[in-house]
Amino acid sequence: MSVLQEYKCPCCGGAIEFNSATQKMKCPYCDAEFEPEALKSYDNAVQNDAGSNMEWETPAGGQWQQGETDGLLTYSCKSCGGEIVGDENTGATSCPYCGNPVVMMGQFSGDLKPDIIIPFKLDKKAAKAGLMKHLSGKRLLPKVFKDQNHIDEIKGVYVPFWLFDTQANAHVRYKATRMRTWSDSNYKYTETSYYAVQRGGNITFENVPVDGSSKMPDDLMESIEPFNIAEAKEFQPAYLAGYLADKYDVTAQQSIPHANERIEKSTQEAFAKTVTGYNSVIPESTNINLYGGRARYALYPVWILNTTWKDKKYTFAMNGQTGKFIGDLPVDNAAATKLTVALSAAFSVGAYAIVFLLHMLGIL
Amino acid sequence: MKKVVTLTLVLFICLVSVVPALGANGFAEEYYRVVDKPLILDNTDRETLLAKLDEISVRQSLEVVVMITKSLDGEEIATYADDAYDERSYGYGENQDGVMLLIDMETRSWYISTHGYGITAFTDAGIKHIGDEMKPYLSSEDYIGACNVYADKCDELITMARNGEPFDSSDLPDEPLSIVWIPISIAIGIAAALIVVKGMKSNLKTVRKKKEANTYVKNGSMVVTENYDSFLYSQVTKTQVQKQNNSSSSTHTSSSGTTHGGGGGSF
Repeated sequence: MSVLQEYKCPCCGGAIEFNSATQKMKCPYCDAEFEPEALKSYDNAVQNDAGSNMEWETPAGGQWQQGETDGLLTYSCKSCGGEIVGDENTGATSCPYCGNPVVMMGQFSGDLKPDIIIPFKLDKKAAKAGLMKHLSGKRLLPKVFKDQNHIDEIKGVYVPFWLFDTQANAHVRYKATRMRTWSDSNYKYTETSYYAVQRGGNITFENVPVDGSSKMPDDLMESIEPFNIAEAKEFQPAYLAGYLADKYDVTAQQSIPHANERIEKSTQEAFAKTVTGYNSVIPESTNINLYGGRARYALYPVWILNTTWKDKKYTFAMNGQTGKFIGDLPVDNAAATKLTVALSAAFSVGAYAIVFLLHMLGIL
Repeated sequence: MKKVVTLTLVLFICLVSVVPALGANGFAEEYYRVVDKPLILDNTDRETLLAKLDEISVRQSLEVVVMITKSLDGEEIATYADDAYDERSYGYGENQDGVMLLIDMETRSWYISTHGYGITAFTDAGIKHIGDEMKPYLSSEDYIGACNVYADKCDELITMARNGEPFDSSDLPDEPLSIVWIPISIAIGIAAALIVVKGMKSNLKTVRKKKEANTYVKNGSMVVTENYDSFLYSQVTKTQVQKQNNSSSSTHTSSSGTTHGGGGGSF
């Protein structure tokens, strides 16, 4: 079984990688470009003739603690013979010695083969620019954080996602009220009418994503949604060249409850929107059945940026397709307090001025 | 000497009661328009005031009277004022149009009684306004000051009524802006600032769990097959409407059967 795959340029033999700008494989040495699909047959041929290169790290007496090497795999680089260490989920990385991009083929073969992949569209430069834009225009961000900002690490990662397709069948009962007011010379009347409202029907969801990597925080991945599935391609290992990739370590089964949660909420909202013309609508009972469910395995492109400030780690993520940039930032509490005091004073004066004006106009 | 003459005059006024009869100018003119039983006003003030009331009454064709009493003999001030007005046949013309201010020294209260066109001209809001204007003078025992304010205000209010727009609550001068608005404004300011700063802080937090899957609904895939809305019951509640813009004059009937308007207060 071939574990490690390097893509060599058929022209000059240099290690080639996927180029997000041209959406093609590009040789950094001779500038030759290839369609990822064109490398498919080459890829198959290489897989057939390669022998087993998988080397398990065996515990050397006393040096490794029990369990310390669990999940640790080492590979040797095909170009320079250097040792590449990855965990059990590493699917693509680069050699720490020669920098050549490598893909661990075994991580994406058989059942582990992703159905689709959205290739990177934005490069490292775009990710850096994204961070600068993310830091600008934020008044309460500590100035030193912006000025002293050093990016520890930028990595383009293909994150495994489970995509769920399902049809939801819903029956919802609501209690709704409608209010009518009128008045005569002495009284103001309010009539509240109560209604029993029932809605039922179907709604289809497509490609609801759930993060299949336990390394990636779910909230971080959900915040850079949505990805445009229309640009997805059939999976080719060649797309991974030059990036990091993990295989899933959260199974589709384990991901179902979270997908269900999101589908249920959206189904409730969609049906609640059909109850119109009331002043208040309260759901009394909700019954949602899902059927025709199907899960697909996909790799989505994500730029991950790490910075450290005051001994705290800040992680940012950028959607490698759309450029949506997210990441929590520290709050300058002193500036926040100062601003609160200043705004309180300004707003208080403003509020009093409005009250005074209303008083002058005889409304108050 | 003058004091004795005035005293005799007042006694005469108090004792003599004559059947009402209209004079040539539309007034009964049986009594002076200033009746000062406890002799609180000094003579010059009293004479000036009388001249002023005479002038206003004739010009406006509506009798404007001031009466100051030592005590009300146990009667209600409103009853006392109405009866005094009726007894002395004050008023202009057939309807006895007029207004009378009664200041009682014993109960330290005042009352304005109106009659005929006076009821129309002096609305409840108008009487309240005159009371508010007189109050500082009455409280500091400047009675002639209060009477002059009353006379001037009567002139003003009658003119307004003659022009078709009797004084109503919308004409009441603005009360000074209540001091409670200062802490309220500060509270609003602090709340608004906290909201804005909180918004800015939340601007720094962009990592959030997604609870819904709205972007993944297949376009046009939603089919509603059940759609029932059934009426259950209804409830009606009512709340009393607060009356705004009071332009009415409340009236009552005096012991002699005539209709009076009016209102008063204490000082």
